[in-house]
Amino acid sequence: MCKFLRYFFYKNFAFTLVHFWYSFFSGFSSQVAYEDWFITLYIVCYSSLPVLLVGLLDQDVGDKLSLKFPKLYLPGQQGSLFNYKNFFISLCHGIFTSLIIFFIPYGAFLQTMGQDGKAPSDYQSFAVVTASSLIITVNLQISLDTSYWTFVNCFAVLGSIAIYFGIMFDIHSAGIHVLFPSAFTFTGVASNALRQPYLWLTIILTVGISLLPVICIQFLYKTLQPSVGDKVQRNRRKYEAEEEEKKKPTPFQRGRRSRRSAYAFSHSQGYADLIASGRSFRQRPQGRRNPQESIREAPQAENI
Amino acid sequence: MGKVKVSGPLSRRPDNSAFKQQRLPAWSPALSAHTLLPLFYGIAVLCVLLGVWLLVTVQNTHEIKVDYTSLGTCERCYELRKFRENSTKSCSCEVEFEISENLTGDVFIYYGLINFHQNLRLYMDSRDDTQMLGRKKNLQAPSSYCTPFDKVDGVPIAPCGAIANSKFNDSFILQYHGLGAPAPIPLFRKGISWYTDENVKFRNPSTNDTFSLAQAFQGTARPVYWQKPVYELDPSDPNNNGFINEDLIVWMREAAFPNFKKLYGVLNRSRAPFKQGLPAGTYSILIQYNFPVEYFRGRKELVVSTVTWFGGKNHFLPIAYLVTGGLVLITAAALTAVYLKVGKEGKNMKEL
Repeated sequence: MCKFLRYFFYKNFAFTLVHFWYSFFSGFSSQVAYEDWFITLYIVCYSSLPVLLVGLLDQDVGDKLSLKFPKLYLPGQQGSLFNYKNFFISLCHGIFTSLIIFFIPYGAFLQTMGQDGKAPSDYQSFAVVTASSLIITVNLQISLDTSYWTFVNCFAVLGSIAIYFGIMFDIHSAGIHVLFPSAFTFTGVASNALRQPYLWLTIILTVGISLLPVICIQFLYKTLQPSVGDKVQRNRRKYEAEEEEKKKPTPFQRGRRSRRSAYAFSHSQGYADLIASGRSFRQRPQGRRNPQESIREAPQAENI
Repeated sequence: MGKVKVSGPLSRRPDNSAFKQQRLPAWSPALSAHTLLPLFYGIAVLCVLLGVWLLVTVQNTHEIKVDYTSLGTCERCYELRKFRENSTKSCSCEVEFEISENLTGDVFIYYGLINFHQNLRLYMDSRDDTQMLGRKKNLQAPSSYCTPFDKVDGVPIAPCGAIANSKFNDSFILQYHGLGAPAPIPLFRKGISWYTDENVKFRNPSTNDTFSLAQAFQGTARPVYWQKPVYELDPSDPNNNGFINEDLIVWMREAAFPNFKKLYGVLNRSRAPFKQGLPAGTYSILIQYNFPVEYFRGRKELVVSTVTWFGGKNHFLPIAYLVTGGLVLITAAALTAVYLKVGKEGKNMKEL
């Protein structure tokens, strides 16, 4: 959940601050740096699904190993995964990314022209290049943050990028311009701009410069100051093999659902009363003796 | 075993499916040194190679810029254009420049403006794309976005808006002095805009043999700053007249930044001595100086350039790639040092 929040702030800062940098060059007239439709669809369509799936499905350590290492609850108790410092780091990361996403295409567009000599550095091509690099950067960034890669995650990341290009080519097509001339004015930009090799080289450079420092810092943290989760993850296979050897019945009779969630409230009283009072358990028929009953703390009706 | 609807406290239990119980098959990659360090070294080498290749390509393009705002005889025209009353007086001037080496291949002529913000929000909104499609309704009733350039004395303007109104109207005749008398250089003045702009975004109102373009534009006025109405932009060529005039189309494609250049013409290489491109020598430009730039402290220039697959003379991207490659190499070396020092046997690697 904390990953979800951090990433959400990061991607919105990266997206919005580009307009701030652009305003220095557009006479402070609040001209948008992207196409209007891109702004509308960015939050809803192009970047929301991967991070939603990370919030729902991500597991940095599997469920069995979570039970084995109670120390994994410490980050939740200490509130170390989302606090002012983390938010500030997210903000700085967003600022850095937005600087890269604006200034690398700015430099590339300063004094250049297409390979057929036409349309040197026009506004609409610039908007398409910054938007494309933004989408690819934020989607690859979420893939760097994901520690549990299911096929749904893969599909979401690649699908978001594919949807972006698909919708963009549709909006920039000739047909839709003839139908709605004032609403869709970016006719032909995607096909003309993305035909130029130097613009693709610009996009690749932008994405690379945005992501390589993140990989580097993640690696440094894992090497120099690994968190509890990192340490467990590093020796995961060894621990899982140990677990297989001493397989024991699960203490709860309910399904094998992971007991650990990101909402471990072990620093406040929690819901112990609810469980301990026995209200949430189904009344058992008299005389039944299950080994699981031994772990209940409060006396049950049949024991009295 | 069919699905039994359970009632009671267990009826809202989530399904025991892989998705809902978070048991999907998955891959948990760990960022380890033996994948990361080779990757970084590989990226560094790739960036440096790419940077070198791009630098060599850019060095093979040639670009000559001539800032003619107040150069030589154009100083007089520059002073003349400071005052609006002189807008109907024509002024021409001549500027000379040298090309030191032969420009082989296709040569492109651009006009450049410095400090002209085509990216102001109100300026960019001040256009009517429906009118530019040649729709009759919008010819007579331009969009309200064009105010105050939508009507003059109650007559609608075609094309409306500030962008069309400020169309660049200097014209150039390039001359080559290498053959004794100055010889005018033939240029293609068509085919300078995007295919989609020329054929989709800008269309004239419909005409036929009995209904000429001038009649189609009846009831509209020319933009305030223009000397000629839109249907007289190029009377000799009906495919370059009206809204589909390529100079107009090129101007209407707004530039991203205040210093920009726009394509004016392409060298016509069908006759000697221009069959290989532009030979080295002395050249001059005869300029019809119309566009005033003093109001916004701007400058005007003419740019002559060759292009390659990579575009024109832009050193930014090759140098950026080289710098990135260098930085990644340094980082990879530092990370290797860190890993070797701390690595597998470090004090932080103790298992739980």
